[in-house]
Amino acid sequence: MINRPQLRTLSALALLLGLAVPGGTQSGAEIVDHPTELTYGPLDFELPDADSYRRELTGGVPAYLVEDRALPLVDVTVRLRIGSYLEPVEQAGLADLTGALMRTGGAGELDAKAFDEAVEAVAGNFTSFIGSTSGRMSMNCLSTVLDECLDLFFSMLGEPRFDADRLDLAKQNEVENLKQRNDDPASVAGREGQWLLYGRDHVESRFATGSSLSAIGREDLAAFHRGYVHPGHMVIAAAGDFDSDELAAKLSALLDRFDGEGRQQASWPPQGAAYEPAPGVYVARQDIPQGRVQIGHRTFQREDWGSPDHFALAMMDSVLGNGGFTTRLMKRIRSDEGLAYGAYSNFRIGNYWPSNLSVTFQSKSETVAYAAKIALEEIDRIRAEPVGEDELRTVKAAAIETFPNEFDSALAVAQVFAQDEFLGRPHDYWRTYRQNVEAVTTADVQRVAERYLSPDRLVMLIVGDWEAIEPGDSDGRATMAEVAGKIGGGVTMLPARDPVSLEALTPEAAEQ
Amino acid sequence: MEEPVLSRFSDNGGGAGVAGLIPVAALALALPLIAPTGVGAQDGAAAAAVPVEEFELDNGMRFLLVRRPELTTVAAAWAAHVGSANERPGITGLAHFFEHMMFKGTHTIGTKDIERDLEIIAEQEAVQEKIRAELREQRRRYRLGEIDDPYDPAHRTDTLNALRTEFQELVEEQRELMVKDELDKVYADGGGTSINAFTSNDLTVYVNQLPANRLELWFWLESDRLLNPVFREFYAERDVVHEERRLRTESTPTGRYDEQADAMFWQSHPYNWPVLGWPSDLEVISKAQADEFFATYYAPNNLSAVLVGNFDPAEVRELAERYFGRLERGQREAPDVVTLEAEQLAEKRMTAECDCQPQLQIRYHAAPFGHADGYALDVIAGVLNGRTGRLYEAMVEGAEIASGASALFEARKYAGVFNLRSETKGEATPEELLVAWDQVVADLIAEPVPQDELAKVKNRVSADTYRQLRDPFFLMIQLAIMDALGDWRYLNTVAELTNQVTAEDVQRVAAKYLQPSKRLVSLYYRKAGAEAKETPAELEALPPEMRTALMSQAQAIATIEDPAQLEAVLQQMEAQAGQVPDEMRPALEWMRSVIEERLAELREDDGGEE
Repeated sequence: MINRPQLRTLSALALLLGLAVPGGTQSGAEIVDHPTELTYGPLDFELPDADSYRRELTGGVPAYLVEDRALPLVDVTVRLRIGSYLEPVEQAGLADLTGALMRTGGAGELDAKAFDEAVEAVAGNFTSFIGSTSGRMSMNCLSTVLDECLDLFFSMLGEPRFDADRLDLAKQNEVENLKQRNDDPASVAGREGQWLLYGRDHVESRFATGSSLSAIGREDLAAFHRGYVHPGHMVIAAAGDFDSDELAAKLSALLDRFDGEGRQQASWPPQGAAYEPAPGVYVARQDIPQGRVQIGHRTFQREDWGSPDHFALAMMDSVLGNGGFTTRLMKRIRSDEGLAYGAYSNFRIGNYWPSNLSVTFQSKSETVAYAAKIALEEIDRIRAEPVGEDELRTVKAAAIETFPNEFDSALAVAQVFAQDEFLGRPHDYWRTYRQNVEAVTTADVQRVAERYLSPDRLVMLIVGDWEAIEPGDSDGRATMAEVAGKIGGGVTMLPARDPVSLEALTPEAAEQ
Repeated sequence: MEEPVLSRFSDNGGGAGVAGLIPVAALALALPLIAPTGVGAQDGAAAAAVPVEEFELDNGMRFLLVRRPELTTVAAAWAAHVGSANERPGITGLAHFFEHMMFKGTHTIGTKDIERDLEIIAEQEAVQEKIRAELREQRRRYRLGEIDDPYDPAHRTDTLNALRTEFQELVEEQRELMVKDELDKVYADGGGTSINAFTSNDLTVYVNQLPANRLELWFWLESDRLLNPVFREFYAERDVVHEERRLRTESTPTGRYDEQADAMFWQSHPYNWPVLGWPSDLEVISKAQADEFFATYYAPNNLSAVLVGNFDPAEVRELAERYFGRLERGQREAPDVVTLEAEQLAEKRMTAECDCQPQLQIRYHAAPFGHADGYALDVIAGVLNGRTGRLYEAMVEGAEIASGASALFEARKYAGVFNLRSETKGEATPEELLVAWDQVVADLIAEPVPQDELAKVKNRVSADTYRQLRDPFFLMIQLAIMDALGDWRYLNTVAELTNQVTAEDVQRVAAKYLQPSKRLVSLYYRKAGAEAKETPAELEALPPEMRTALMSQAQAIATIEDPAQLEAVLQQMEAQAGQVPDEMRPALEWMRSVIEERLAELREDDGGEE
């Protein structure tokens, strides 16, 4: 994938000689008794070299340009070190709307409709999005119309018009979306879970409301854009059918079009308000036949990309529940007991603030308690005893053998390296990745599980029909009283909320 | 509304190491939109073709190969040409349930002692047979009105409980012999990812991705599970499928209503039951039925495999013969679905109240996969969709009655459906959306679509033929689906055939299919307490925002079950009453009455039970 022409020649040659290209399996007519007896040749993979793709464009904007001439397509992605952490709290939704309206509100000489039609005329795919801690704009076009596309794309980036009609429409539609956010239990769980773990003041806990939206005007979008969407915050990734020198020159010329007016330097990295959640069981009532459960606590913030603990944690998470059917949670909760369609863990390390652990499943009301009991047992077990050598071998093999997939297209290569630069992750992280995974031992896994999993700090959120959930199942395998006793902190009923204002409709946090 | 494509497993969306697990269903759903391709109408821009190499084994199993030497992986799939449409009443949901069972192992994979394992399975079946006999009695009691649910644990007889205990002991014993989820483990050890499968009305597809040097592992494991499958944990998996149903159908805003609409829409065709099956069928499905299903539909002559990635075709052919060549051709061809959809004579309507945004859904009977009219139906969807499309103008931006609107032509194997879906905005009603839609259709029929509008759609389609080649996994799924629907070559001809669609074709096809008598109109309203549905007189003086807020508060109050909570709200209101401005007083009084009514209701309920 990296040295494309070379690889092609190699395969052609191999064909002529009648060799098997990808490593070659033993060509006999035998079938071994068990798949573990199969033997394989080495995989033809060389880690791409980040520096060979890196360019510095006008104003020092870093860009990773990876040529791939197989198809007449070009992808360009611009990442921005900005986000909703820069918006005023009373204008929650401003960054999000700015991102969306850059795409839909017209640009340069073209009003909204004309801009949409121009993008359609070149059959381009353009996106624009600003999240809590990053912005991302992308284009995909046929290389036959690359220049027209780049012009439109940079017009969208540099001179969006934010046409008032489209803004009104977007705000009205957003209000319709707000009205629906109590309809889906997943959306309720997302919001309440965020608040429980991060408090109400954290940027990740901020949700637009009817009044925050009405406080946002066209000028606010224009100012946010003028202030923050500029080359000083950009990292660019591009892949496809182009000549890198030519594309670099084109991109530099387009970046030159940005003027410095109103430009601000965004504070970086983003800051999040500190918060320590109160352990306990929390319930958001919803009339559904299934309880939607999230169990977790805050974790920590990454300081060193090479820390051995992080690789051990990733392996621990993979054994516990982050993966497919081989994880402990999936085996016990789904395969053994049929209690849920899925059960997962995800131990996240934060880039800008302590992130969180989340263990999630959905089970019919009666068996929520039993499935929760199993999940808690598994959290205890992975701390109390070392994982099996065999279990560790499986998750390590999975991480190591699938490693080349990270780089399996020119676009993937460009984006991985651009992301390195965005996050401050050294490119060398990839060079040592497989060794670092290989080095993890069962003792390491137990050590990090003991150190970083905190059963006494757990917060459990249930969205569902509490009256049906509380007593547990008819076989008496577990009740919620038992689960709550284990977690500590009691059971708290969360208030019903108006979907538009998010104001509590019933008294806040009534403890049972 | 989308075709219910169910994947065996969906990821929690968190981990970086498990990429590719979610997209299976999503990709398949995106397919009808991506497939329509067209060449730039005026400029004649070329469209891409997928370079497929094809061969067939003696036993009838077909292989489609796309070489991508620049990759380090191979995406591999095989499709069984069977879906829920091949079921019959009594075994609905079996095709999908069966897909789950295919991950439970074989004579070699998943057990430490196959002989004892098979004995236990036979013993389990004997107990389940007795359980099914008991359930027959439970259904009789249900018909007589003695119990309200034949499958409710609360109504289990002593015999039933004893049988369940006996069965559970056999499960425990079998568990001792099992190597749990060994298929997944062996794949994971070998660097396999995206180990998944999905089922639709027409097809079942099993997918994987492997490092290029491990391709033989795929041949070993996949041919093994076709050759010697063992359906372990049959009854525990049934509970998993029940949970899947609760998740997908019962805990989503419109899930159960969409299911009802599908059942109404298809009158005679087996598309009228859900891919997940009716829950009561799942309760009594038996291993014998699964065995028969396997013998009928999983013979190699009803299967096709697709490989996209870095491999040597000659080697693949050798491996295919060595491994899949072991499968015996089915004794007879898999039966066709013979029931044709009866012609719809009159418009159907469904009116639903749910915890959902008010919306309009319309289903029209349309052409099946491969039908010549399909290209024009796709063009119609293209003309309607997107921010430059007609729906945006007619409903979203111009008329401002919808927050979104989209059309989708879904060509299934035996029949097609043309869908419209639109959600209301502000005070607009689903009926207003219907009026606007009918005007859009009338225009399509009355006026030829202008050339530039047509060209725009064809251009988009042409560019997408290149895009579909980019992701090997996505391409593999498309090939598998198209092949199972009838012919993968569709991917290579669609651009040219779409390019031939004329403005007159669009008019003709719109007139032929988009007729009121051939549709089901589903109108969805937000469920509310009766008192909140109409604006109460007390609230009329208030600004609309506040009115809406109060009405949704009243709605929330109607769901509170705990009188103490309501009392607390009342007390809070009393405490604040002094600070309320005069114009708000009627509203306050109204809210008080809403709460008191709910309290009265709750007390009545309590009394009724005692």
